[in-house]
Amino acid sequence: MSDVKEFDTRPAGSPSAESPLAWSFHRRGTPPREAGAGVTLREKAFLGHMVLRGGAIVLDEAVREVLGITLPARPNTLALDDSGERSIQWLSPDEWLVIVPGGEEFALEGRLREVLGQAHYSIVNVSGGQTVLTLRGEKARETLMKSTPYDVHPQAFPVGKGVTTVFAKATVILRRPTEDTWELVLRRSFADYCYRWLLDAAAEYGVTVER
Amino acid sequence: MSQVNRLSQGGRIDRSRQLHFTFNGKPYVGYAGDTLASALLANGIDIVNRSFKYSRPRGIVAAGAEEPNAIVQLGSSEATQVPNVRATQQALYEGLTARSTNGWPNVQRDLMGMVGKLSGTFMPPGFYYKTFMAPASLWMTYEKYIRKSAGLGRSPTEPDPDSYDHINQHCDVLVIGAGPAGLAAAVTAARNGARVILCDEQEEMGGSLLDSRELIDDSPAVQWVDRVIDELAAMDNVTLLPRTTANGYHDHNFVTLHERCTEHLADSAPASGSRRQARSRMHRVRASQVVLATGAHERPLVYANNDVPGNLLAGAVSTYIRRYGVAPGQKLVLSATNDHAYRAALDWREAGREVVAIVDARANPQGDLVAKARTLGIPIITESAVIEAKGAERVSGARVAKIDATRFTVAGEVEELACDTIASSGGYSPVIHLSSHTGTRPTWRDDILGFVPGEVKGLTSVGGARGVYPLDDVIRDGIDGGRQATQAAGLDANAVTGLVPQVSAREDGAACALYQVPHLKPSMRAPKQFVDLQNDVTAAGIELATREGFESIEHVKRYTAMGFGTDQGKLGNINGMAIAARCLHRSIPEVGTTVFRPNYTPVTFGAIVGRHCRDLFDPERYTALHQWHVEQGAEFEDVGQWKRPWYFPRTVNGKKETLHEAVARECLAVRERVGILDASTLGKIDIQGADAREFLGRVYTNKWAKLAPGRVRYGLMCKDDGMLMDDGTTSCLGENHFLMTTTTGGAAGVMEWLELWHQTEWPELDVYFTSVTDHWATMTVTGPDARKLLAELTDIDLDKEQFKFMDWREGTVAGVPARVFRISFTGELAYEINVQANYAMHVWTALFKHGEKYDLTPYGTETMHVLRAEKGLIIVGQDTDGSVTPEDLGMQWAIGYDKPYSWIGKRALSRSDTRRTDRKQFVGLKPKDPKVVLEEGAQIVFDPNQSIPMSMVGHVTSSYYSPTLGHGFALAVVKGGHERMGETVYLPMVDGKVHEAEIVSPVFLDPKGERQNV
Repeated sequence: MSDVKEFDTRPAGSPSAESPLAWSFHRRGTPPREAGAGVTLREKAFLGHMVLRGGAIVLDEAVREVLGITLPARPNTLALDDSGERSIQWLSPDEWLVIVPGGEEFALEGRLREVLGQAHYSIVNVSGGQTVLTLRGEKARETLMKSTPYDVHPQAFPVGKGVTTVFAKATVILRRPTEDTWELVLRRSFADYCYRWLLDAAAEYGVTVER
Repeated sequence: MSQVNRLSQGGRIDRSRQLHFTFNGKPYVGYAGDTLASALLANGIDIVNRSFKYSRPRGIVAAGAEEPNAIVQLGSSEATQVPNVRATQQALYEGLTARSTNGWPNVQRDLMGMVGKLSGTFMPPGFYYKTFMAPASLWMTYEKYIRKSAGLGRSPTEPDPDSYDHINQHCDVLVIGAGPAGLAAAVTAARNGARVILCDEQEEMGGSLLDSRELIDDSPAVQWVDRVIDELAAMDNVTLLPRTTANGYHDHNFVTLHERCTEHLADSAPASGSRRQARSRMHRVRASQVVLATGAHERPLVYANNDVPGNLLAGAVSTYIRRYGVAPGQKLVLSATNDHAYRAALDWREAGREVVAIVDARANPQGDLVAKARTLGIPIITESAVIEAKGAERVSGARVAKIDATRFTVAGEVEELACDTIASSGGYSPVIHLSSHTGTRPTWRDDILGFVPGEVKGLTSVGGARGVYPLDDVIRDGIDGGRQATQAAGLDANAVTGLVPQVSAREDGAACALYQVPHLKPSMRAPKQFVDLQNDVTAAGIELATREGFESIEHVKRYTAMGFGTDQGKLGNINGMAIAARCLHRSIPEVGTTVFRPNYTPVTFGAIVGRHCRDLFDPERYTALHQWHVEQGAEFEDVGQWKRPWYFPRTVNGKKETLHEAVARECLAVRERVGILDASTLGKIDIQGADAREFLGRVYTNKWAKLAPGRVRYGLMCKDDGMLMDDGTTSCLGENHFLMTTTTGGAAGVMEWLELWHQTEWPELDVYFTSVTDHWATMTVTGPDARKLLAELTDIDLDKEQFKFMDWREGTVAGVPARVFRISFTGELAYEINVQANYAMHVWTALFKHGEKYDLTPYGTETMHVLRAEKGLIIVGQDTDGSVTPEDLGMQWAIGYDKPYSWIGKRALSRSDTRRTDRKQFVGLKPKDPKVVLEEGAQIVFDPNQSIPMSMVGHVTSSYYSPTLGHGFALAVVKGGHERMGETVYLPMVDGKVHEAEIVSPVFLDPKGERQNV
């Protein structure tokens, strides 16, 4: 939709930035590296996050043209580009989450708006409001089972699936971009709670946090 | 004392591994593989407890979950105390420390026992109600003593050192119970590719096969058990959960399983390597299909003094001998109604002990086991039963007589047989507790003399749980049930071949129905005949209940306490119903059953709580500036799940400021210089679309048609009943683009509200909403010096003509792109700076660097409250309570009655009730005594001299001391308050004081708004 105020919230210079998990790492430190840890966590901070809303047909054309990714039209699915660095995830019948390398989001928004023209849609930059935490390791799935009632068995949660679901007493977006990686998209204000929960739940398997 | 009752061989215990334990302070020795119960019996402990109500000595009766007496308090330290543990379910470990839960001062010498013995006959059901009802005020006094003598254990008084876990599981088929039926069902489902969970409450899987005499494929049944478990363990699609009790069966096949991870190892979970492990784990299973393979509980017979230690279930005798190598006595009398019970006598004899007699209620028992007993020369007394046990602290004899079960009389001479153990079996009750949790009523079957599970969608019962008892039938039933469940889960179930093992068929004669055994005296006069040992319910008690008019079995239950609490009617319920049926001259199915409820066996609070405790009890939401607040020593206030700085106490002359001192300082800083607030928690919603403006007009009470880009407006949101639900400012970012703010607590609710109305009422409007609460960090810089400070850091033109009150501008602040809103919640010149949250700390610290010369003062929510109240600005939820309209608040200026399209709440605001002139209206209150700060919530009256109850005309909603005004002040709602300016109202307090206050405008400071408009 035109007559929308576009605004690049990323500064031109390089003032210090703090990811949603900065305070958690500062307060708790990160668990010492442990041989044979069953779970490895890593924050993918400062990515570009955007929420795209609109009709699937309209958005699909634009997204394919601008990003080269087909809009995932099936509920709870996730599509990635060849590099795996850009993704689009179905969130609701008229809502998708786009995650791209940090810094690309504003230009991408502009290109999408150009292509979408007068169609009815919205694009909202939410990069400061969420972060991605990856879980790897042979006990990653067990750790998730302790945290979410959603079925994370490979039969029920194949690669390319992504859902918005309950995580402990918070809500997260949970997705599986590759065979051995789970991603949690955490809301900034809940990030510390989720992080503390994961450390506690995975303690019995051994947990390593990569920085 | 050595293990006097331990057999020299046999059982599944490891005699090479001795384990030391203490019971009631005395040391004992048992073996690995023992339960606490088998170890106590091995050591010849007869009395394990005192009964709940009569304080009678009690011994171990059963070998499983149905044990009513051996309920112990576990734990060697205060912090690890666990009440309510069944000794029959507790694996023995080195150092185990247990105590009886009843008995005061101890089980051997029990004071209440004296009362029990003396007054036993004087304690009928309802005794406590009848005796201690009046005077009601004394109940608290009685209760203290009753509690001390009754009760089932105590909770620890020190924090629990352990951690507990929850885990969510999903499967195609959940099999509950790993006896022959459950194993057969699980392996059938697993071989067909189903995701299977098999759980079993015991230390070892195998169920009845662990003490079975029978052969499968010509070898002992346990070998088949081992083979099946090995096969299951090797399969990826199978989760095996031993030591795991299915405790609750909830709607939609949601089943809670309680896995005791380390309770067989120690008091407190030992570390595994360097890692902490959970003491127990609650599996929250969502199963497509449930297979109930919970088997059956043996029913004891109800005869006089059947609670004296030495009275056991027949099956329990076999279990102790065959599984634990313990024969709990020397001379046995078996009282039975069925063939299967004969096992106890055969096992007893094979253990080298004397079987005095088998007393069989049937006229002509026939069957393979009966023949075997006859061959061994065991005397069988037919058409008879044990009518009374002799002995006080241990059985010393059995009184046996011919009986007529149909006429309920003793039909012959009474003979007394000397013995120390009486085993009884009145048949078997399928374990239907779990199916009953779903609300289904079980069905009585005359052919098996028991209730079987009623129908539940997604549930298949197999084996003993549905009254199938012969082993070969049980295994076949398990296979069929496993296949059915697999198919019902949507899988093909034809992969299974050649599975059915060969079981030598056994001929069993028919059983006969016997519940309460007749005595020479009527039930009311005979020695106590116990139905529910745990709750001390007797046959006479049930008879009395029916005579007193309690005809519904649910009433009988509540009057007598039968099947109450942790027992859940495992042992006694069917007998109790049979007795009620006899007294009421009805059949058992006519009387029906009571409802079994979760949990099947007690679950610790720790297991229920999981890791949702301590610092993970509830999410704590932090803003991007949280670290700064913590480092500045802020005190925090919970606002919803957010942690917001409440105030920032400074240390002055070595003394930390109080709330009052800090707030006074913070208030003056804002009024005189400049303060800063972290307002990031406010809800923020990005709204885009051609119809965004129209949509705002329909959800807000005021007008939005003319709000130009660059401008901000305050809006009120009502529910459809016309009552205020939220407020906030909304800014026009572009012609089709708005940013709405909501209250901190209302954010999620408002977002849902907007979606609800858009999706269900006005889908034709082109508009989208996206939450950006977490994306933006918001810093409010406010006070006379706000402009000077901000000017040092921004490229935005702050000229008062260029950037007016209720304008917003974009630019950079401290080099970071920012949207700055000139709105004020303090009444002072104010700029709300919004930056992307990742850069918030950079901007905040830059503001402080430049703010030093202006004494930039951080303030918290308490100061914010005082400052806004001085200006008469409301807080939704504090000054409103869901019964306040915008007009009640005096905000007619924010209501657009003439908007072209209707809006939410408009119609309700024309109702006669919302038009009343005597509604409670929002006003200011100025206490006559300037030192008084009225209590929030205090009630208001017009006439303090009226008689009680007074007519209350309103209440105080907010009240503070204003350091700026120099006196206390309050906001309140008062009936017809808008027309009562200048009148005096009164606030009578609980201590008898009456405060006087004058009704004034709620705007105490700068009514023309000159301070914010500079």
